[in-house]
Amino acid sequence: MPIIIDIKYAIRLLFKSPKFTAMTLMVLVGGLSISLFTFSFLYSTLYKDLPLPEGDTALSISAMINGDYSLLTPYEFAHLKSEQTVLEEFGVYDDKNYRLSFGDAGKNIPGSNVDEGFFRFSRTSPLLGRTIVKEDMQVGATAVAVISFQVWQNELAASEEVLNETLVVNDVVTEIIGVMPEGYRFPGTAKIWLPLSDDDLNLAADAGNYFYSYGRIKAAGEHAQALLELNSLLDNIYQQNVALYDLEKGKKSLQLLTFPFAQTGGEGTIIFAFLNAIAWMILLLACINVGNLLLARSIERQKETAIRAALGATNKRLISQLMWEGIIITTLGGVLSVLLVGAALHYTNIILHSWMPDGMVFWWQWGMDRETIVMAIIFTLATIFLSSFLPAWRSANQDINSTLRDGTRGAQSKKAGRLSRFLVTTQVFLVAILMLIGAMSAFISLKFINLDLGDDYTNVMTARINLPVGKYPEPEQKIAFYQNLLEELKSHPKVVDVVTNNWMGESELTMDNMDYPSDYEKPKVDVIGTMGKTSTIGVNLLEGRYISHLDKEGSRKIAMISQSMAKRYWPGESVLGKYFKVEINGENEKLFIIAVVTDRLNPRTILGKIDSADEIYISGFQFSNNFQAVYYRIHGDLAQTEEIFYQALFKADRNLDLFYPVQPAMKNRSLMRDVMSLVSNLTFSTGFFALLLALVGIYGLTANSVAQRTHEIGIRRAVGATDKNIVQMFLKQGRAQLIRGLGLALVLFALLAFAFNKFSESMFPVYLYAVLALTVVVGLSCVVMLAIYAPTRRAVKMEPSSALRYE
Amino acid sequence: MTALLTLNNISKKFFTEEIETKAISGINLIINKGEYISLSGQSGCGKSTLLSLLGLLDSPTSGEYHLNGTDVSLMTRDQRAKIRSEQIGFIFQSFNLISDLTVFENVMLPLTYQTGIDKKVIEEKVSSVLEKVEMLHRKNHFPSQLSGGQQQRVAVARALVNDPTIILADEPTGNLDSKNAEAVLALLDKLHQEGATICMVTHDPASAKRADRCLEMFDGRLISDQQNIRVNKPIELVAS
Ligand SMILES: Nc1ncnc2c1ncn2[C@@H]1O[C@H](COP(=O)(O)OP(=O)(O)OP(=O)(O)O)[C@@H](O)[C@H]1O
Ligand SMILES: [Mg+2]
Repeated sequence: MPIIIDIKYAIRLLFKSPKFTAMTLMVLVGGLSISLFTFSFLYSTLYKDLPLPEGDTALSISAMINGDYSLLTPYEFAHLKSEQTVLEEFGVYDDKNYRLSFGDAGKNIPGSNVDEGFFRFSRTSPLLGRTIVKEDMQVGATAVAVISFQVWQNELAASEEVLNETLVVNDVVTEIIGVMPEGYRFPGTAKIWLPLSDDDLNLAADAGNYFYSYGRIKAAGEHAQALLELNSLLDNIYQQNVALYDLEKGKKSLQLLTFPFAQTGGEGTIIFAFLNAIAWMILLLACINVGNLLLARSIERQKETAIRAALGATNKRLISQLMWEGIIITTLGGVLSVLLVGAALHYTNIILHSWMPDGMVFWWQWGMDRETIVMAIIFTLATIFLSSFLPAWRSANQDINSTLRDGTRGAQSKKAGRLSRFLVTTQVFLVAILMLIGAMSAFISLKFINLDLGDDYTNVMTARINLPVGKYPEPEQKIAFYQNLLEELKSHPKVVDVVTNNWMGESELTMDNMDYPSDYEKPKVDVIGTMGKTSTIGVNLLEGRYISHLDKEGSRKIAMISQSMAKRYWPGESVLGKYFKVEINGENEKLFIIAVVTDRLNPRTILGKIDSADEIYISGFQFSNNFQAVYYRIHGDLAQTEEIFYQALFKADRNLDLFYPVQPAMKNRSLMRDVMSLVSNLTFSTGFFALLLALVGIYGLTANSVAQRTHEIGIRRAVGATDKNIVQMFLKQGRAQLIRGLGLALVLFALLAFAFNKFSESMFPVYLYAVLALTVVVGLSCVVMLAIYAPTRRAVKMEPSSALRYE
Repeated sequence: MTALLTLNNISKKFFTEEIETKAISGINLIINKGEYISLSGQSGCGKSTLLSLLGLLDSPTSGEYHLNGTDVSLMTRDQRAKIRSEQIGFIFQSFNLISDLTVFENVMLPLTYQTGIDKKVIEEKVSSVLEKVEMLHRKNHFPSQLSGGQQQRVAVARALVNDPTIILADEPTGNLDSKNAEAVLALLDKLHQEGATICMVTHDPASAKRADRCLEMFDGRLISDQQNIRVNKPIELVAS
């Protein structure tokens, strides 16, 4: 019965001040929603079990060489499989892009080459037909494929006779042997599955082929032990081959991760922790504000509480009575945030899937789920504890006697004042940190979005090819292949120009007339191997001539250099015919300059100026490479121009897989920009929301502390204080809090900035951090001072006699 | 004698939730420099309201109020504050001490709002007034640690610390026992002798007798204004 009375009383209080209730609710819903959304989004992305039967025990197996990501070679896999005792269902697959051709038209779809255990491992049976068996993998077997539900629906019009139909996959007529159930895209994004060939698996140790692998640990929970055995076996195999085939020296070890975790490269935990920490900071901020607002109310009712206690109310009763208001409003806020976050996740899901219709791994489905609800309940309880229980407990434990006999305000007001001062300080600190982080990441994203890359990708299509080492061992073969491909492409009437690019990274530059104390001191240039005309991608000739097929092995080694380099080393001079030395593939090569071309942004100075680093273009005919990005520029629009590439490719080599499918060169870049602008908007709005929260909080706190001190203001004015005296007094107290909060934040920011600066290799000039910090300090100071000034100003307007009557 | 305060048809109305309370209606009053006035009347008749009008804590709804010949309604807020801090000492019915400040700090308050006073002078003044009300030994206590009478004495000390020319006291002895009450009244007498103008609200006829002029209010109006023949009036003051 008493509880019902308390609840009724609490509801009446909430309705009595609707503005206060709405403000508190808004703060709560904001804080809860942000942290809940962050949690749910990241949790679904990283930690959710694979949505397949027994998905939690399915492991993705990859390797590390000296800490760098790597995979198993077929040789290593075969040996490991026969020797190891800890894994079951140990198998391999290879992610591929496939070209489905329909006459002149075609389509790229992601797929996988899999072994016969693959579908069993995923515990999924086909909807129609069968999956891949051992016989399919034999050399010379009929070409077969298992297709996804989606391919069946979209490409084959859901034909009933699908099992009697064929598809042209990478120019090969392939029989359809099975259709997988809807939604199945294991191991990630696959829409079609072809058998791995025994040829692919029985390769020598130096073949340079790599496979993804999968498996389960036999004895559940013995992860560490299993890893120990596998690692020692693998390293044994690797060390033998290092000696035999001159492979990279070092230790090769395995990584056993769940599929979702492996997708994020295993570094998800850091991101998860960092982003959640930020989200929790916002929640904490919200809690502080809600707590404050409720605390303010309980202090207002302190005398009432003291009277109740004097009349015999127990502590428990008092706490419960004071808490109901908080419990009701927090619970309401919790429910509202669950609804809000549910909607937000739903739309995020739609948006992300529409951005990358093929690229999203199938378990990335965001929406309201059990984990999020559980977290919502935890968050709500934590909020109730922080923002309702603590203030209520504090208020109920006051010294009744001194509250009752004190003529003006509760004797506790000094303590309460200290608490609220502490809270304001914390608030200022948290907001400053959030704003600094937000501003920094928004700045980085913005910089990415507005980057001038120095190239021109309009009407340009691109594809990437990695020639298999086994098939193209000799430089002449590689060069011949790419030369063929380029000529085929160029011969198409719609193609304007073609070029290949191969970023080889940065190399040390040696000038003849210079002294370098050590190699470390030598300047660096980015080296790009190229065949064809670089103007295809907007890197235009300023002087000299383009690289041609005549710049080949045996003739003088040449390079085109960027304008920035010409200006840096030969200012005001003509550079044609001059030379320099650059380390390429371990050799110090002497290169003669044949041309100067426009600047391009180097990956390593991605946030710097376009001419802050130099590039050189060397002849792909002199320095061959398996990997190339191929670009071709089209007359007019890009529709249906992928086929041009596939036709040319199939002419040059019928059985080649693309490393990356053909697509407009702009596509990835605009996707990256979209993602970046989303990130920048998100961080910016998070920072903005934090600021809003703090404003509400600081305003509420100050307004409240001013209101609480109305009587005191009356006394002070009665004995002669001017308006200015009063306002100054409050501003001075506010300033002290501000200085403490900001000071702490600045120290932390300095540490963060220092770490970031180191980590980013001085990506930003140091003054930028100072400017950022200054902006935040000045901005926040103005805001806080205003939040103090406005309510104080209003309070002093009251006649002293009315202020004195104020209780 | 010169007129210090002149009230001309002063009225004060309060509006609370659409109910109008007429606390003061049409009061005419002249208070001369150096007068000791007592103000009595039944509870709720408007004594405290009149006192806060006199002390510039509130503004009248209508009528004119001249202080030292200046129309108060023409003064800026800061000018009024200056007068309050330099010329007026207010003793409240409910002591109105600031609970977060110590006794010493409470008493010091009016001086902190005056400019150009030396810190040492402040300390001396505060100590001397606290001495006068016999509260110096509690100077570091907080108001909630004092008894009602002690709080009242601190409030009196605060009213005296700025050497006011006008002392407005709202039942200064209401919370005190006879011994303490006598001490406060004696203090006021002494201040009066030193030239201060005093206006004191009191219910106690004996206290009222100490004043040279007794005013009586009823329902917001002045109903009587009598000169007192004081028995113990110092000879020299009578002569002047
Ligand atoms: N701020 C206010 N708002 C509304 N009414 C007020 C206000 N101040 C005073 N009053 C009313 O004005 C009238 C006079 O009040 P005042 O405090 O002056 O009485 P008083 O003579 O001092 O009484 P007491 O001897 O009990 O102290 C009362 O009826 C009171 O209710
Ligand atoms: Mg009164």
